[in-house]
Amino acid sequence: MTNVFGVQVFFIIFREALEAVIIVSVLLAFLKQSLGQPHQDPIIYKRLVRQVWVGSLGGILIALVIGGAFIGVFYGLGHDLWAESEDLWEGIFYLIASIIITVMGLAILRINKTKEKWRVKIAQALLAKGKHQTTTKWLGDWGRRHAMFLLPFITTLREGLEAVVFVGGVSLGLPATAFPIPVITGLLAGLLIGYLLYRGGNVMTIQYFLIASTCILYLLAAGMFSKSVWSLQFYKFAQKVGGDVAESGDGPGSYNIRQTVWHVNCCNPELDHGWDVFNALLGWQNTATYGSVISYNMYWIFIMVAIACMLYEERTGSLPLQRPFLAFIGKIPGFRRYAARKLNAPKPNADDLVSQVDADLFSHGIAQRPLAEK
Amino acid sequence: MPMLGSSSLQQHLLLLVFLVVAVAVGQAAAKTVTYDFNVSWVTANPDGLMERKVVGINGQWPLPVIEVDKGDRLVVNMYNGLGDKNASIHFHGMYQNGTNNMDGPSMATQCPIPPGYNFTYDFTVDQNGTYWYHCHTEFCYPDGYRQALIVHDSDAFFNDDYEEELTWTISDWYHDFVEDIQFLSLYNPTGAEPVPNSFLLNDTQHSSIPVKPDTTYLIRIINIGAFVAQYFYIEDHTFKIVEIDGVYVEPKEADLLYISVAQRYSILLTTKNSTDKNYAIVTVADSDLLDVIEPELQLNNTNWLQYDADAPHEDAVMTVEASADLVPFDDFTLVPHDQMELLPEPDFEINVTVTMNNLYNGFGYAFFNDISYTAPKVPTLYTVLSAGDLATNSEVYGEFTHPIVLQHNDVVQVVLNNGDSGSHPFHLHGHNFQVIERAPPFNEHRNDYADGDPLTFDPANHTAFPAIPARRDTFVVPPQGYFVIRFVADNPGVWLFHCHIDWHLAQGLAMSFIEAPLQIQETTHIPQQHYDVCRAGGVPFEGNAAAHTQDLLDLDGQNKQQPFLPAGFTARGIVALVFSCISAFLGMAFIVVYGLSTPAAPLEKTSTDTSDIASASAPVPAPGTGGVQHTVEPYRD
Repeated sequence: MTNVFGVQVFFIIFREALEAVIIVSVLLAFLKQSLGQPHQDPIIYKRLVRQVWVGSLGGILIALVIGGAFIGVFYGLGHDLWAESEDLWEGIFYLIASIIITVMGLAILRINKTKEKWRVKIAQALLAKGKHQTTTKWLGDWGRRHAMFLLPFITTLREGLEAVVFVGGVSLGLPATAFPIPVITGLLAGLLIGYLLYRGGNVMTIQYFLIASTCILYLLAAGMFSKSVWSLQFYKFAQKVGGDVAESGDGPGSYNIRQTVWHVNCCNPELDHGWDVFNALLGWQNTATYGSVISYNMYWIFIMVAIACMLYEERTGSLPLQRPFLAFIGKIPGFRRYAARKLNAPKPNADDLVSQVDADLFSHGIAQRPLAEK
Repeated sequence: MPMLGSSSLQQHLLLLVFLVVAVAVGQAAAKTVTYDFNVSWVTANPDGLMERKVVGINGQWPLPVIEVDKGDRLVVNMYNGLGDKNASIHFHGMYQNGTNNMDGPSMATQCPIPPGYNFTYDFTVDQNGTYWYHCHTEFCYPDGYRQALIVHDSDAFFNDDYEEELTWTISDWYHDFVEDIQFLSLYNPTGAEPVPNSFLLNDTQHSSIPVKPDTTYLIRIINIGAFVAQYFYIEDHTFKIVEIDGVYVEPKEADLLYISVAQRYSILLTTKNSTDKNYAIVTVADSDLLDVIEPELQLNNTNWLQYDADAPHEDAVMTVEASADLVPFDDFTLVPHDQMELLPEPDFEINVTVTMNNLYNGFGYAFFNDISYTAPKVPTLYTVLSAGDLATNSEVYGEFTHPIVLQHNDVVQVVLNNGDSGSHPFHLHGHNFQVIERAPPFNEHRNDYADGDPLTFDPANHTAFPAIPARRDTFVVPPQGYFVIRFVADNPGVWLFHCHIDWHLAQGLAMSFIEAPLQIQETTHIPQQHYDVCRAGGVPFEGNAAAHTQDLLDLDGQNKQQPFLPAGFTARGIVALVFSCISAFLGMAFIVVYGLSTPAAPLEKTSTDTSDIASASAPVPAPGTGGVQHTVEPYRD
């Protein structure tokens, strides 16, 4: 099954697509709010909306081209090179992938926060452009006029490239046939959820879906982390054995008995179809080593601690022990200013920023020129 | 009638006297041949590729060939001068009738001889033909400790058929010390046998053996290697096989032999009339036995039957692919010259299956019926001698020497099913045996069952046994095939039955036949020197396999093979799996909690008006800026 559907690929594409969709929807909402009202000029509004769409699609297109080339090179050149020490590369890439997923995964549950974050980010970007217009007048003008093109363009390009790099990293060892379906379905799912969010469907239903998908994402990541340790250990074993250890199937001789916690002479994900799905999802190995079992459990413990800290931060505004820690740091020369800044950093007021954008940008930026043309 | 009777009696008496005299004369003619062997390290470079330390005798290597006449008493005074290694000598193929303690395998019939100790082998050679001797302690003979042992026979039926006699040994050769080769290792889980670095003929390569034209030679060919069987042929020559493993056979024309380690063939070769050309003597290693074949490994080797030293010496051409198609002479078809008939139905049958598997330490082992031979604490022969009446109870020899007690003079049949995908040359000490069945036959189909299900011998359904079966002491079982052999247990002693691939012996592919133990007790006398060697090495020489002398049936503390690998989940595996599941579920529970507990501020907003983010800016309207107006209307596309 993983030959046609790379589960990891699906989730990464889904996640990146969702993020891109949210940004685009935030932009569209901006425009609607600022210019799309019945008494305002529909031509300017339509042009700007078009800019957003062109920018988004342009970014996606270029990301696809670059990504396609990347994957092509990755599999064309790299695969033969890595086949020699596949376990080593698998170990390294699984490690990278699990770290990436771990870092980005929880953010999906704060998708509304993401929306908010992007609103602020966009506002900040627009304001910054307005301030620097004197230095490079023409570029500044052009940039401002086409802000609604550039922002989605860069966003989708960035998300797209991110997706490609993640997918490439996560999916070493998957055949090329494992990509198309999860890429398409991931995109569709991302667009669907993004649209639902935008349209304001049942928030809780969406949230449940996101929770479920995040759980799966972390199951993947835990499995990958464990598998990464497993692969590195197996690589070392295979290196000492010499020859092809995998050749010996799943029976005795195919694994290092001294590191083994359990071993069943079946269900080898490399050989048994069906178990490879289990492997892709949960990191199943028919041989579990001390390293793979301990790392799997440690991973989950780390996730639990991380979530506890984040919940704490959300409730109290700072990480547990963050303030005592910063206070302590502040007593060490050299860190004093850093600690002080962190301790006293003003939280930017999102609404203030956004309202400034409304006033500033659209009054003498894009809005003015078409008015003059009139 | 009385007259007649008395004359008949007289005739009988006369005959008896004559026989006694004849035997006495025969014994008088028999001489004692004595060799003093100081075994020590020397260096040698037989293949011209690498000089290495080898086991030498009296400072020389290749080792001296032992030559005796049939009926001679052979005395070998061995001194272990190796300094760092135990040793012994097994005289391969010698029946050692009444001298079981001279057979040589450590921990079966003697203690290993520690460095600095003497050991005298002293026995009568009442048999004829081609044999060899080699170390039989741990794995010592691949380091060069092996050579031919020839028993000349003035009564051989082919004595008048040849003018000259040659002895050719063939062998595999390693550049590393056996002890340095990581064979029984966690990192050799498949038990892949170490691949030799080269192959030798007469402990050298590319040699020219001068021959005279139109002359018949008796050539004794011995594979003294540790692992690899070799094909043997001489370009444009055929020959007649007259002896296998010391058993004379009816001459059979052949042009290609397959000689496994420890097997011997004597052939009559008549040279050509012309001397204008030298002919290649070709030996080709059986590549099927080798795990990997490095490009630099020369599988086929050419030596020359040199008719004319000035004529060119051309290398034979034989590729690995072509060697796989070689169809050697089937030794099963040979008929012993003495016409000994098929032994009657067996009184006792031993049925064993050969398998290879990994045990708990991750090493690859070999098994007869799931028992991997593990040396006992007391040499088995000494257990026989110290066990009294219990010697007939196989339990005293320990479970892992795989002991089988044989009744004196029973006809014994061994059915050996090979569950392994490699071929194995099996050797029985103290006997030769009738080979009465082998499948698949040793022809072009011999490797047909290497893949798939193994063949097993079906006593109810087999081809007819030959009326006069061939006899050997080393016989090859094909991959996943079987063979059946018979012999008479008429030679009291402790005899090992084992695979002669030294690596497989190291993996435990051996078992012990304790033949007529009560007769052993009656006939065997152990020289004090043998016990001295045990004392020197700290090896107990009394008691059962666990060295218990009081309660011989108490085998507590016996040497055991490693435990078998667990078939699936063990307690710790289940615990690990359960804990992994628990932590995964707990982790997901945390994620769910995190996902449901949306933080205060965004939660309020999203729950009230997610549909319109822009409205969040509504509380701070910016009136009068460029005519842009803000509304609090929810956005609808």
